[in-house]
Amino acid sequence: MTLEADLREGLLAAVPSLRAFAISLSGQVDKADDLVQDTLLRALANLHRFERGTNLNAWLFTILRNLFHSEYRKRRREVEDPNGSYAGRLKIQPEQGSHLDFEDFRTALAQLPSDQREALLLVGASGFSYEEAAGICGCAVGTIKSRVNRARLRLAALLNVDDVDDLGPDSMTRAALQG
Amino acid sequence: MTSDKGNKLARALPRTPLNDELGTSATLDSSSQKRIGDQLRAMYDELMQQPVPDRFKELLDQLDKKKDGSQ
Repeated sequence: MTLEADLREGLLAAVPSLRAFAISLSGQVDKADDLVQDTLLRALANLHRFERGTNLNAWLFTILRNLFHSEYRKRRREVEDPNGSYAGRLKIQPEQGSHLDFEDFRTALAQLPSDQREALLLVGASGFSYEEAAGICGCAVGTIKSRVNRARLRLAALLNVDDVDDLGPDSMTRAALQG
Repeated sequence: MTSDKGNKLARALPRTPLNDELGTSATLDSSSQKRIGDQLRAMYDELMQQPVPDRFKELLDQLDKKKDGSQ
């Protein structure tokens, strides 16, 4: 018997979003890929625990998040980022040929406390509901809501988002066209 | 939550830096929230569009074969 085709599809289909989450969490592509690989291995070893019909992505994100945090606890100093070196590492990340520059945004994101960054990534970028994000992080829905809220406020302050001309998507588009 | 954009609400955002101790009762106006969200998704989409490294496909293929062999 082979790994059921639909499940294999599901796992492969989840890889891009798992990678994006892992890269955004860890700030390191190599580490992120190891994290995704460990997530897949752990998922395969625990497939019997996965309830068919429930959200495979949410289950995989939960595994990845738990792995990331146990790694984080183990190697705290390595991951902690008081000087924004997380953002520095991310700068090498954009694909060549990409004209969009998210440097300011990455730098600001790196300055968020990790619980806020994680909540914002889950809800604001990965497309999970507050309820799903709470399930993934093992905390209350209200906790996720307040973390996301605080993350947005902090980012807005760091990025001076009230300066419309500076950071609006339009100026990014213009920069891309000029680049 | 409204999705109006390009309005003047952004001006209502305090200009002083927000710090960690800020209470959770404060919320961003909708246009600032939208700009943050747009940038976050744009950054994320760029990561999502990167090709999936072969190691993941190979990993799943290997496991398929292993299962074949053992059963």
